[in-house]
Amino acid sequence: MADALLHGAVAALKPLGLNYAFVLDAGERAAFLRGMGVTLELCIAVIPGSLAVGVALAAALTSGRAWLALPARAFVEVTRNTPTLVQLYCAFLVLNMLITQQFRQFGAGNPLTPFVWVFIVVSLHKGAFHAEALRAGIQAVPPAMLEAARSLGFGRAHLLWRIELPLALRFALPSLVNNVVDLVKMTAVASAIAVGDVTYESIMIWTNRDNVLELLLLILLYFGLLTWAVARAGRWLEGRLRMPGYGQ
Amino acid sequence: MNPSMTALEHLWQWSPALLRGMGANIGISLLAVALGTLAGLLVGAASMSHATVLQHATRLWVQLFRNAPVLVLIYFTTYVFPFEIGPAVWRLPFPDWLKVVLGLALPTSANVAEIFRGAVQSIPSAQWEAAQSLAMRRAQVFRVVILPQCLRRMLPPWMNLYASIAMSTSLASLVGVHDLVDTAQIASNTVARTDFTVLVYGAILALFFAYCYPIARFTQALEKRHAFR
Repeated sequence: MADALLHGAVAALKPLGLNYAFVLDAGERAAFLRGMGVTLELCIAVIPGSLAVGVALAAALTSGRAWLALPARAFVEVTRNTPTLVQLYCAFLVLNMLITQQFRQFGAGNPLTPFVWVFIVVSLHKGAFHAEALRAGIQAVPPAMLEAARSLGFGRAHLLWRIELPLALRFALPSLVNNVVDLVKMTAVASAIAVGDVTYESIMIWTNRDNVLELLLLILLYFGLLTWAVARAGRWLEGRLRMPGYGQ
Repeated sequence: MNPSMTALEHLWQWSPALLRGMGANIGISLLAVALGTLAGLLVGAASMSHATVLQHATRLWVQLFRNAPVLVLIYFTTYVFPFEIGPAVWRLPFPDWLKVVLGLALPTSANVAEIFRGAVQSIPSAQWEAAQSLAMRRAQVFRVVILPQCLRRMLPPWMNLYASIAMSTSLASLVGVHDLVDTAQIASNTVARTDFTVLVYGAILALFFAYCYPIARFTQALEKRHAFR
């Protein structure tokens, strides 16, 4: 049944000059679906990872302590002003090589896979962008509210977690959603270090078949779907978290 | 290879090649942003016209090229476009770097269109009405009243876009353009020493930072000046 549908779809697209014959090959179809899965896994792993990095960096930036704020500021500036691909190479080709050499001295293998490196690099990269958005949000919290909380005996950490971050999250949500949309698109660089994401699997298929246009259209459709889902979720969250009388 | 050379001496030896690679990155980014800005202004202007067809077409353009990963667009222009262009007899080579320029110009145009539309819409509509009450035509209002204010508002986001495209040029190395990242990879594989590999990747990170950070600082300064007006 499903097979007949696939055959029908491929035959229907043929007159348009689009050759989707690869979906009839069980191996290549599985590879493409696996790639879609890996891209989705990357997104699902990196979104919370980057948010955690963002919160930590924002806390350091607004801590008012120079020994925390200055390194955080330097990290954010370097991360925002250098290409993700170069950061990925610095991590995967340089750090990973050094770590592998260390492990080899103890006669062990390196446990860090390319997938883990993409997770680390994109989380740190997007975390720096989240941090800037959250910092602006934290600084927009009315001072009177902080004084009120302090007078109730809130400590620094408590103040950040219970007062500043919830308000900053609402303030920064539009930029955070934008960043997450960017993050989804950014996972495509994983293909540069042979993580089997949807882009990488497609390259593998089109080097065999010469059907670049067909695969690129599918990839674009897939990323379009993912970014659309993120934007929808963002709008839902904005409505859900809206506080009357605060923010836009 | 002379084994007695230090990693730093190797880096010095490779520095002309690395700087040439950086030149390719800068050239590609300048061309891509110039082309993309021209196209984006046209798309943005069309999106504000009263013709529904144009509105739908430009919306599709902007949505498609803003939501596509830049890397995928670069693959698109590199592998889908032919390696030669021109009518039957006159064949001109269509080099990969030019395809990368086009691949980067597409997202640039979509973003510029949005920046342009946003800037025009940020001008209070009362200005249109006031100018029209002075018997100015629509085109005249746009040219004399709206556009000069828009240009000032568009500059900071446009410069952010430029910095982002300049960083995206590093993706050109993935389709075989001899840019800075590609040169660093060749250097690292040729010298094949751990300390040199660390040094050369650190160097290209520093070069990109040295190029993009001043742009970011200048943009921030412009934004601050604009905010006080």
